[in-house]
Amino acid sequence: MASNRELTMGSYVGIGVGLMVIVTIEVILTYQHLPARTLLFSLLTLACLEAFVAVMYLMHVKYERPLLFWTIFPATLFVLGFLCYVFPDAFRMFDMRLMK
Amino acid sequence: MPEHNEIAAYLVSTRELNQKGANVSQSELAVAGAHGIVMEASPYGIDKKKLGMWVFIVSDACTFGAFLFAYGYMRVGAPVWGTPFGFSSILNGMVMTAVLLSSSLTMLAAVRAAQTGGKASANKWLGATMLLGAIFAALHLREWFKLIGEGWRLFYNPTGGAAQFGATFFSVTGLHLTHVVTGVIALGFIARGYNRGRYDESHVETAGLYWHFVDLVWMFVFPLMYLMNAH
Repeated sequence: MASNRELTMGSYVGIGVGLMVIVTIEVILTYQHLPARTLLFSLLTLACLEAFVAVMYLMHVKYERPLLFWTIFPATLFVLGFLCYVFPDAFRMFDMRLMK
Repeated sequence: MPEHNEIAAYLVSTRELNQKGANVSQSELAVAGAHGIVMEASPYGIDKKKLGMWVFIVSDACTFGAFLFAYGYMRVGAPVWGTPFGFSSILNGMVMTAVLLSSSLTMLAAVRAAQTGGKASANKWLGATMLLGAIFAALHLREWFKLIGEGWRLFYNPTGGAAQFGATFFSVTGLHLTHVVTGVIALGFIARGYNRGRYDESHVETAGLYWHFVDLVWMFVFPLMYLMNAH
Protein backbone atom coordinates (compact mmCIF):
# COMPACT_ATOMS: atom_id res chain seq x y z
CA MET A 1 0.00 0.00 0.00
CA ALA A 2 2.99 2.26 -0.23
CA SER A 3 1.66 4.20 -3.17
CA ASN A 4 4.63 6.58 -3.08
CA ARG A 5 6.86 3.71 -4.24
CA GLU A 6 4.64 2.91 -7.21
CA LEU A 7 5.71 3.32 -10.80
CA THR A 8 4.87 6.32 -12.91
CA MET A 9 2.17 6.10 -15.61
CA GLY A 10 4.95 6.17 -18.20
CA SER A 11 6.45 3.02 -16.68
CA TYR A 12 3.03 1.34 -16.74
CA VAL A 13 2.67 2.19 -20.43
CA GLY A 14 6.10 0.60 -20.92
CA ILE A 15 4.88 -2.55 -19.15
CA GLY A 16 1.78 -2.59 -21.38
CA VAL A 17 3.95 -2.31 -24.50
CA GLY A 18 6.20 -5.08 -23.16
CA LEU A 19 3.21 -7.37 -22.64
CA MET A 20 2.04 -6.65 -26.19
CA VAL A 21 5.52 -7.54 -27.48
CA ILE A 22 5.26 -10.92 -25.69
CA VAL A 23 1.85 -11.50 -27.35
CA THR A 24 3.43 -10.70 -30.75
CA ILE A 25 6.20 -13.24 -30.02
CA GLU A 26 3.50 -15.80 -29.20
CA VAL A 27 1.82 -15.17 -32.58
CA ILE A 28 5.16 -15.42 -34.43
CA LEU A 29 5.90 -18.73 -32.65
CA THR A 30 2.48 -20.03 -33.69
CA TYR A 31 3.41 -19.68 -37.37
CA GLN A 32 6.82 -21.36 -37.01
CA HIS A 33 5.13 -24.79 -37.39
CA LEU A 34 6.66 -26.06 -34.17
CA PRO A 35 5.61 -29.47 -32.79
CA ALA A 36 2.40 -29.06 -30.74
CA ARG A 37 4.16 -29.96 -27.48
CA THR A 38 6.96 -27.41 -28.02
CA LEU A 39 4.47 -24.73 -29.04
CA LEU A 40 2.29 -25.42 -26.00
CA PHE A 41 5.28 -25.27 -23.65
CA SER A 42 6.51 -22.01 -25.24
CA LEU A 43 3.09 -20.36 -25.16
CA LEU A 44 2.44 -21.39 -21.56
CA THR A 45 5.87 -20.14 -20.45
CA LEU A 46 5.27 -16.76 -22.10
CA ALA A 47 1.71 -16.60 -20.69
CA CYS A 48 3.06 -17.31 -17.18
CA LEU A 49 5.64 -14.55 -17.63
CA GLU A 50 2.89 -12.12 -18.70
CA ALA A 51 0.71 -13.18 -15.76
CA PHE A 52 3.59 -12.67 -13.32
CA VAL A 53 4.22 -9.14 -14.62
CA ALA A 54 0.49 -8.36 -14.52
CA VAL A 55 0.11 -9.63 -10.94
CA MET A 56 3.21 -7.91 -9.62
CA TYR A 57 2.84 -4.54 -11.32
CA LEU A 58 -0.70 -4.02 -12.66
CA MET A 59 -2.30 -5.66 -9.62
CA HIS A 60 0.27 -4.01 -7.34
CA VAL A 61 1.28 -7.15 -5.43
CA LYS A 62 4.89 -5.95 -5.56
CA TYR A 63 3.86 -2.96 -3.43
CA GLU A 64 1.77 -4.90 -0.92
CA ARG A 65 3.07 -6.70 2.15
CA PRO A 66 4.84 -9.99 1.27
CA LEU A 67 2.34 -11.83 3.48
CA LEU A 68 -0.37 -11.23 0.84
CA PHE A 69 1.77 -12.86 -1.83
CA TRP A 70 2.72 -15.82 0.37
CA THR A 71 -0.85 -16.39 1.50
CA ILE A 72 -2.45 -16.32 -1.92
CA PHE A 73 -0.06 -17.62 -4.53
CA PRO A 74 1.37 -20.89 -3.18
CA ALA A 75 -2.20 -22.04 -2.33
CA THR A 76 -3.54 -21.06 -5.76
CA LEU A 77 -0.66 -22.71 -7.60
CA PHE A 78 -1.11 -25.82 -5.43
CA VAL A 79 -4.79 -26.08 -6.42
CA LEU A 80 -4.06 -25.42 -10.11
CA GLY A 81 -1.23 -27.96 -9.99
CA PHE A 82 -3.45 -30.59 -8.45
CA LEU A 83 -5.88 -30.23 -11.33
CA CYS A 84 -3.16 -32.06 -13.27
CA TYR A 85 -3.84 -35.08 -11.10
CA VAL A 86 -6.37 -36.51 -13.54
CA PHE A 87 -4.62 -35.31 -16.68
CA PRO A 88 -2.75 -38.58 -17.47
CA ASP A 89 -6.16 -40.13 -18.15
CA ALA A 90 -6.25 -38.03 -21.32
CA PHE A 91 -3.12 -39.85 -22.51
CA ARG A 92 -4.85 -43.17 -21.76
CA MET A 93 -7.63 -42.06 -24.10
CA PHE A 94 -4.97 -41.00 -26.60
CA ASP A 95 -3.35 -44.45 -26.42
CA MET A 96 -6.72 -46.12 -26.95
CA ARG A 97 -7.10 -44.51 -30.37
CA LEU A 98 -7.17 -46.89 -33.29
CA MET A 99 -5.48 -44.28 -35.48
CA LYS A 100 -2.93 -41.93 -33.90
CA MET B 1 -13.27 0.26 30.01
CA PRO B 2 -12.42 3.08 27.57
CA GLU B 3 -14.68 6.10 27.15
CA HIS B 4 -16.60 6.63 23.94
CA ASN B 5 -14.28 9.36 22.74
CA GLU B 6 -11.32 7.04 23.31
CA ILE B 7 -12.97 4.35 21.21
CA ALA B 8 -13.70 6.90 18.51
CA ALA B 9 -10.05 7.92 18.57
CA TYR B 10 -9.09 4.35 17.79
CA LEU B 11 -11.66 3.95 15.06
CA VAL B 12 -9.42 5.02 12.21
CA SER B 13 -9.62 3.25 8.91
CA THR B 14 -7.05 0.68 7.89
CA ARG B 15 -6.03 2.95 5.04
CA GLU B 16 -5.21 5.78 7.41
CA LEU B 17 -3.16 3.42 9.53
CA ASN B 18 -1.25 2.25 6.51
CA GLN B 19 -0.62 5.82 5.43
CA LYS B 20 1.00 6.29 8.81
CA GLY B 21 3.28 3.39 7.99
CA ALA B 22 1.40 1.05 10.36
CA ASN B 23 4.12 1.43 12.96
CA VAL B 24 1.55 0.83 15.65
CA SER B 25 1.69 -2.54 17.40
CA GLN B 26 -1.16 -5.02 17.11
CA SER B 27 -1.99 -4.65 20.80
CA GLU B 28 -2.30 -0.90 20.43
CA LEU B 29 -4.73 -1.39 17.58
CA ALA B 30 -6.95 -3.86 19.40
CA VAL B 31 -9.55 -2.04 21.41
CA ALA B 32 -12.37 -3.74 23.25
CA GLY B 33 -14.79 -0.92 23.93
CA ALA B 34 -17.87 -0.56 26.03
CA HIS B 35 -19.91 -1.81 23.06
CA GLY B 36 -17.63 -4.75 22.39
CA ILE B 37 -15.94 -3.04 19.44
CA VAL B 38 -12.72 -4.72 18.42
CA MET B 39 -10.47 -2.92 15.98
CA GLU B 40 -7.46 -4.74 14.67
CA ALA B 41 -5.35 -3.89 11.66
CA SER B 42 -5.33 -6.37 8.80
CA PRO B 43 -2.09 -8.39 8.76
CA TYR B 44 -2.10 -7.84 5.00
CA GLY B 45 -2.22 -4.06 5.33
CA ILE B 46 -5.17 -3.78 2.94
CA ASP B 47 -8.81 -3.00 3.55
CA LYS B 48 -11.50 -5.68 3.66
CA LYS B 49 -12.91 -4.87 0.20
CA LYS B 50 -9.56 -5.47 -1.41
CA LEU B 51 -8.95 -8.64 0.59
CA GLY B 52 -12.41 -9.88 -0.39
CA MET B 53 -11.60 -9.20 -4.03
CA TRP B 54 -8.36 -11.17 -3.70
CA VAL B 55 -10.27 -14.15 -2.28
CA PHE B 56 -12.72 -13.89 -5.21
CA ILE B 57 -9.81 -13.69 -7.68
CA VAL B 58 -8.23 -16.84 -6.22
CA SER B 59 -11.50 -18.78 -6.53
CA ASP B 60 -12.10 -17.43 -10.03
CA ALA B 61 -8.55 -18.34 -11.09
CA CYS B 62 -9.29 -21.92 -9.99
CA THR B 63 -12.55 -21.86 -12.01
CA PHE B 64 -10.74 -20.74 -15.16
CA GLY B 65 -7.96 -23.22 -14.42
CA ALA B 66 -10.50 -26.05 -14.26
CA PHE B 67 -12.07 -24.94 -17.57
CA LEU B 68 -8.69 -24.77 -19.30
CA PHE B 69 -7.62 -28.15 -17.89
CA ALA B 70 -10.89 -29.66 -19.13
CA TYR B 71 -10.14 -28.20 -22.56
CA GLY B 72 -6.62 -29.66 -22.52
CA TYR B 73 -7.93 -33.04 -21.39
CA MET B 74 -10.52 -33.21 -24.16
CA ARG B 75 -8.08 -31.94 -26.75
CA VAL B 76 -5.46 -34.59 -25.94
CA GLY B 77 -8.08 -37.30 -25.76
CA ALA B 78 -9.87 -36.39 -29.02
CA PRO B 79 -8.78 -38.14 -32.22
CA VAL B 80 -9.08 -35.04 -34.46
CA TRP B 81 -9.30 -31.50 -33.14
CA GLY B 82 -10.65 -28.45 -34.93
CA THR B 83 -8.31 -25.65 -35.99
CA PRO B 84 -10.72 -23.03 -37.35
CA PHE B 85 -8.66 -19.88 -36.83
CA GLY B 86 -7.06 -18.30 -39.88
CA PHE B 87 -4.71 -15.33 -39.73
CA SER B 88 -7.60 -12.84 -39.75
CA SER B 89 -8.96 -14.37 -36.54
CA ILE B 90 -5.51 -14.32 -34.94
CA LEU B 91 -5.12 -10.67 -35.96
CA ASN B 92 -8.53 -9.97 -34.45
CA GLY B 93 -7.33 -11.71 -31.27
CA MET B 94 -4.21 -9.52 -31.19
CA VAL B 95 -6.36 -6.39 -31.54
CA MET B 96 -8.58 -7.69 -28.71
CA THR B 97 -5.46 -8.22 -26.57
CA ALA B 98 -4.23 -4.69 -27.32
CA VAL B 99 -7.66 -3.27 -26.43
CA LEU B 100 -7.77 -5.18 -23.13
CA LEU B 101 -4.21 -4.18 -22.21
CA SER B 102 -5.04 -0.55 -23.00
CA SER B 103 -8.10 -0.81 -20.77
CA SER B 104 -5.84 -2.01 -17.93
CA LEU B 105 -3.73 1.12 -18.38
CA THR B 106 -6.79 3.40 -18.39
CA MET B 107 -7.97 1.60 -15.23
CA LEU B 108 -4.61 2.29 -13.58
CA ALA B 109 -4.98 5.94 -14.57
CA ALA B 110 -8.50 5.98 -13.06
CA VAL B 111 -7.24 4.51 -9.76
CA ARG B 112 -4.37 6.97 -9.64
CA ALA B 113 -6.69 9.91 -10.38
CA ALA B 114 -9.11 8.73 -7.67
CA GLN B 115 -6.27 8.40 -5.14
CA THR B 116 -5.16 11.97 -5.82
CA GLY B 117 -8.72 13.25 -5.55
CA GLY B 118 -9.22 14.07 -9.22
CA LYS B 119 -12.88 13.11 -9.49
CA ALA B 120 -13.40 14.38 -13.05
CA SER B 121 -10.20 12.72 -14.23
CA ALA B 122 -11.09 9.43 -12.51
CA ASN B 123 -14.51 9.45 -14.16
CA LYS B 124 -12.96 10.15 -17.54
CA TRP B 125 -10.56 7.19 -17.22
CA LEU B 126 -13.29 4.91 -15.88
CA GLY B 127 -15.38 5.84 -18.92
CA ALA B 128 -12.43 5.06 -21.21
CA THR B 129 -12.01 1.66 -19.50
CA MET B 130 -15.69 0.87 -19.98
CA LEU B 131 -15.52 1.90 -23.64
CA LEU B 132 -12.48 -0.32 -24.26
CA GLY B 133 -14.22 -3.19 -22.44
CA ALA B 134 -17.26 -2.74 -24.68
CA ILE B 135 -15.02 -2.72 -27.80
CA PHE B 136 -13.36 -5.94 -26.59
CA ALA B 137 -16.78 -7.56 -26.12
CA ALA B 138 -17.89 -6.42 -29.59
CA LEU B 139 -14.73 -7.86 -31.22
CA HIS B 140 -15.23 -11.08 -29.27
CA LEU B 141 -18.83 -11.40 -30.41
CA ARG B 142 -17.76 -10.72 -34.00
CA GLU B 143 -15.41 -13.72 -33.75
CA TRP B 144 -18.19 -15.83 -32.26
CA PHE B 145 -20.65 -14.94 -35.03
CA LYS B 146 -17.99 -15.67 -37.65
CA LEU B 147 -17.53 -19.19 -36.20
CA ILE B 148 -21.27 -19.73 -35.89
CA GLY B 149 -21.63 -18.60 -39.52
CA GLU B 150 -19.08 -21.26 -40.52
CA GLY B 151 -21.25 -23.89 -38.85
CA TRP B 152 -19.46 -24.33 -35.51
CA ARG B 153 -21.83 -25.06 -32.65
CA LEU B 154 -21.50 -26.08 -29.01
CA PHE B 155 -21.71 -29.77 -29.94
CA TYR B 156 -21.07 -29.76 -33.69
CA ASN B 157 -17.87 -29.59 -35.69
CA PRO B 158 -18.54 -28.77 -39.38
CA THR B 159 -15.14 -30.20 -40.42
CA GLY B 160 -16.04 -33.61 -39.02
CA GLY B 161 -13.50 -33.56 -36.16
CA ALA B 162 -14.12 -33.63 -32.41
CA ALA B 163 -17.39 -31.99 -31.52
CA GLN B 164 -15.95 -30.84 -28.19
CA PHE B 165 -14.09 -27.95 -29.81
CA GLY B 166 -17.24 -25.81 -29.85
CA ALA B 167 -18.12 -26.79 -26.29
CA THR B 168 -14.69 -25.87 -24.92
CA PHE B 169 -14.17 -22.75 -27.04
CA PHE B 170 -17.59 -21.22 -26.43
CA SER B 171 -17.58 -22.08 -22.72
CA VAL B 172 -14.08 -20.76 -21.94
CA THR B 173 -14.37 -17.61 -24.06
CA GLY B 174 -18.00 -17.19 -22.97
CA LEU B 175 -16.98 -17.29 -19.31
CA HIS B 176 -14.32 -14.69 -20.00
CA LEU B 177 -16.74 -12.54 -22.00
CA THR B 178 -19.19 -12.72 -19.09
CA HIS B 179 -16.45 -11.40 -16.82
CA VAL B 180 -15.73 -8.53 -19.22
CA VAL B 181 -19.41 -7.56 -19.56
CA THR B 182 -19.92 -7.86 -15.80
CA GLY B 183 -16.82 -5.71 -15.28
CA VAL B 184 -18.11 -2.99 -17.62
CA ILE B 185 -21.45 -2.93 -15.77
CA ALA B 186 -19.71 -2.92 -12.37
CA LEU B 187 -17.44 -0.07 -13.45
CA GLY B 188 -20.56 1.87 -14.49
CA PHE B 189 -22.02 1.45 -10.99
CA ILE B 190 -18.69 2.34 -9.36
CA ALA B 191 -18.30 5.46 -11.53
CA ARG B 192 -21.84 6.61 -10.72
CA GLY B 193 -21.40 5.95 -6.99
CA TYR B 194 -17.99 7.63 -6.97
CA ASN B 195 -19.44 10.64 -8.79
CA ARG B 196 -22.22 10.96 -6.21
CA GLY B 197 -19.81 10.57 -3.29
CA ARG B 198 -21.29 7.22 -2.22
CA TYR B 199 -18.06 5.38 -3.10
CA ASP B 200 -14.48 6.42 -2.48
CA GLU B 201 -11.12 5.68 -4.13
CA SER B 202 -10.88 2.27 -2.41
CA HIS B 203 -13.94 1.13 -4.41
CA VAL B 204 -12.28 2.26 -7.64
CA GLU B 205 -9.06 0.45 -6.62
CA THR B 206 -10.94 -2.78 -5.84
CA ALA B 207 -12.79 -2.63 -9.17
CA GLY B 208 -9.41 -2.08 -10.83
CA LEU B 209 -8.07 -5.26 -9.24
CA TYR B 210 -10.94 -7.22 -10.81
CA TRP B 211 -10.37 -5.59 -14.18
CA HIS B 212 -6.66 -6.48 -14.20
CA PHE B 213 -7.57 -10.08 -13.33
CA VAL B 214 -9.85 -10.22 -16.39
CA ASP B 215 -6.87 -9.03 -18.45
CA LEU B 216 -4.64 -11.66 -16.82
CA VAL B 217 -7.03 -14.50 -17.68
CA TRP B 218 -7.06 -13.40 -21.33
CA MET B 219 -3.27 -13.87 -21.37
CA PHE B 220 -3.95 -17.61 -21.02
CA VAL B 221 -7.17 -17.81 -23.04
CA PHE B 222 -5.72 -16.20 -26.17
CA PRO B 223 -2.71 -18.54 -26.63
CA LEU B 224 -4.53 -21.69 -25.52
CA MET B 225 -7.88 -21.18 -27.29
CA TYR B 226 -6.80 -19.18 -30.36
CA LEU B 227 -3.11 -19.72 -31.10
CA MET B 228 -3.17 -23.47 -30.37
CA ASN B 229 -6.14 -23.77 -32.74
CA ALA B 230 -4.72 -21.71 -35.62
CA HIS B 231 -4.26 -23.22 -39.05
